Amino acid sequence: MSTFSKLQQTIAATLKVPATKITETTRDEELAAWDSLGHVNLMMALEQTFDVMLDVEDFPKLNSVPAILAYLQAQGVSA
Amino acid sequence: MAKTKFAFDDLTQISSRSELRAALALSRLSLSLPQAQTLSAHAKTLTPGLQPLRLGIVHTYTSDLLDPWLDLAASLEGLEIATYHAPYGLALQEAREGSELLAHQPDVTLLLLRREDIHPDLQRPITGLPPADQQALSGEFVDRLLAIVGQFRAHKIGQLVVSLLPSLTGPGLGIYDAQAERSESAWWASTKTLVGTRIRETLNATVYLDLDEILQQVGRRSFFDQRYWYSARFPFAADAARELARRVVSVGVLGKTPKAKVIVLDADNTLWGGVIGEDGMNGIGLGPDYPGSAFVDFQKRLLEYQQRGFILALCSKNNAADLDQVLREHPHQVLKDEHFAARRVNWVPKPDNLISLAEELNLGLDSFIFVDDSDHECAAVRHRLPQVEVIQTPSRPVDVPTCLDHVARLEVLTLTAEDLAKTEMYAQERRRREFSEQLEQGGSGAGDYLAKLEMKMRIGLDPAEHLARLSQLTQKTNQFNLTTRRYDEHQMQGFIDSDDWVVADFSLADTFGDSGIVGLALFRKLEAKRAELDTFLMSCRVIGREAESAFMHSLLRLLADQGIEEIVADYKPTAKNELVKNFLPQQGFRLGDDGRYRMQLAETPPKPESAFPIQVDMPIVA
Repeated sequence: MSTFSKLQQTIAATLKVPATKITETTRDEELAAWDSLGHVNLMMALEQTFDVMLDVEDFPKLNSVPAILAYLQAQGVSA
Repeated sequence: MAKTKFAFDDLTQISSRSELRAALALSRLSLSLPQAQTLSAHAKTLTPGLQPLRLGIVHTYTSDLLDPWLDLAASLEGLEIATYHAPYGLALQEAREGSELLAHQPDVTLLLLRREDIHPDLQRPITGLPPADQQALSGEFVDRLLAIVGQFRAHKIGQLVVSLLPSLTGPGLGIYDAQAERSESAWWASTKTLVGTRIRETLNATVYLDLDEILQQVGRRSFFDQRYWYSARFPFAADAARELARRVVSVGVLGKTPKAKVIVLDADNTLWGGVIGEDGMNGIGLGPDYPGSAFVDFQKRLLEYQQRGFILALCSKNNAADLDQVLREHPHQVLKDEHFAARRVNWVPKPDNLISLAEELNLGLDSFIFVDDSDHECAAVRHRLPQVEVIQTPSRPVDVPTCLDHVARLEVLTLTAEDLAKTEMYAQERRRREFSEQLEQGGSGAGDYLAKLEMKMRIGLDPAEHLARLSQLTQKTNQFNLTTRRYDEHQMQGFIDSDDWVVADFSLADTFGDSGIVGLALFRKLEAKRAELDTFLMSCRVIGREAESAFMHSLLRLLADQGIEEIVADYKPTAKNELVKNFLPQQGFRLGDDGRYRMQLAETPPKPESAFPIQVDMPIVA
């Protein structure tokens, strides 16, 4: 599974939205469920799914699919 | 053999919720948030269908992020949780008529509080105060907390669960703290004891959920996540959130499912390792060395469940003589014959044995927890008696001592004197049975037996001191119960305080011992010298001694003395109370055209005390 597919599934499961609504360009403001609460939930889910430890300073930057993908890549995550 | 190693994917293959709960407890898997969501979706699809559980949360730190964990814990217990989160902060406005919390009609209300919310002095180090000031602060803290909790308790918000967030850091004085005069940990331990005592003594239907206990279980590093705490005011890491949710949902489970009363135990590979019939007294695993050491600990743990008020029974396929020998002679056997309220040691199928145990103990099968190591026996009981909760003894002995820890129905929220003495009461009952059999063999009749018991009944009126027990009786009594109305302590207190209600209970003593409080009647006075019998119930442990009639007629005499002329009563049939179908007509009530029973006290005067083989002691009412 590609990193994107895994991320797509994680976002879908965490925010309870259909996976098809999440594309490689999706941003937080496009999804009602990706509010501040959803965001904290998503940060937890990312850590646990991809086995990374996020810095609290990075939380606000990880507000879109491309930003998260770039971050994961920089952390050396491969699916 | 029960499986011992689980990968996450194995869990989603399990098709019964009780097995799933056991597997989760056994696996020690940490679940990620997506895994928790996958698992709760799976648990929701299992049978039986979900029952609702309504939770209200009042919180001075972020609580919304608990939702997926609450959802998981609830789905695993067959509950569909609907949670209302009050606005952030010490939302005392929620403890008022018309609040959203009250409108939510919660079954359980959870208070998630921090110590420093209760008393501002706790924002500074407690170690800065000399002991006398620490003690004074302790008193003020508890007073303030109880005042807040009391405001909530005054409303109908279900079972109230109070929690205080532990300190994010270790004790103020570090390694030295435990022995310091101004020790933070000692201050908190004594303050917490005070909180527990005050809640127990002054508040009904309120439980203090000790988060320190969860912290000890998961460890401080796995309990807090500083990043989410400082950025989103959510303190819990996944393991802590999951365990907290499990415990909160357990409180809900206790209110939603039939009360568990009996733990029925297999012997071989459950109470000891190996098979007594094959391995012999010296060969079974029971004693100081592994694996016997684990079974000794399990037996000690079972004695603790007895202290919670559960009774123990044996159900094993063995030669009775082999098993007796272990109980009597094995030097490391902890549970002796007197610890078991009843036993079936034979080669009869276990479901049949459970049915006959239920008859002997006068308890419903849905109050049974069955513990057995065999795949076959567990499957047979699950299949034939789905109302019995089955726990399979883990196949690794090291997992056995804690194998009941995750069972929500084995938690208790109150303990009464009757709970603690329960096994002794069943032992008395066994001696009574033997005495009656002796008399029968000597050619005496049943009347003779009752007279020889020298029974004394003590009736209590508006007995506030028995509140917990009376509420418990309404929750637990299914068979000898005319209307099966369940009341929590809060409602029961209302009846006791009200002049319109007569609350009466009784205990029964005889030559073999004292039963404790075993009967309850609630009468509601209506206009025009009428009274309605709202509740009349009796614990099955005193059936067959004419106590129910002696109690009823004593109360009818009391009501007649108070000027009541007519009693209205109902029999509301349930699946379990067939036993009392004819009780009202037997006492002289007449069935009316409207399906209700009535008694005119002038026409049908209550029977005198001398009509029954029981001496009655009733307080004199002015």
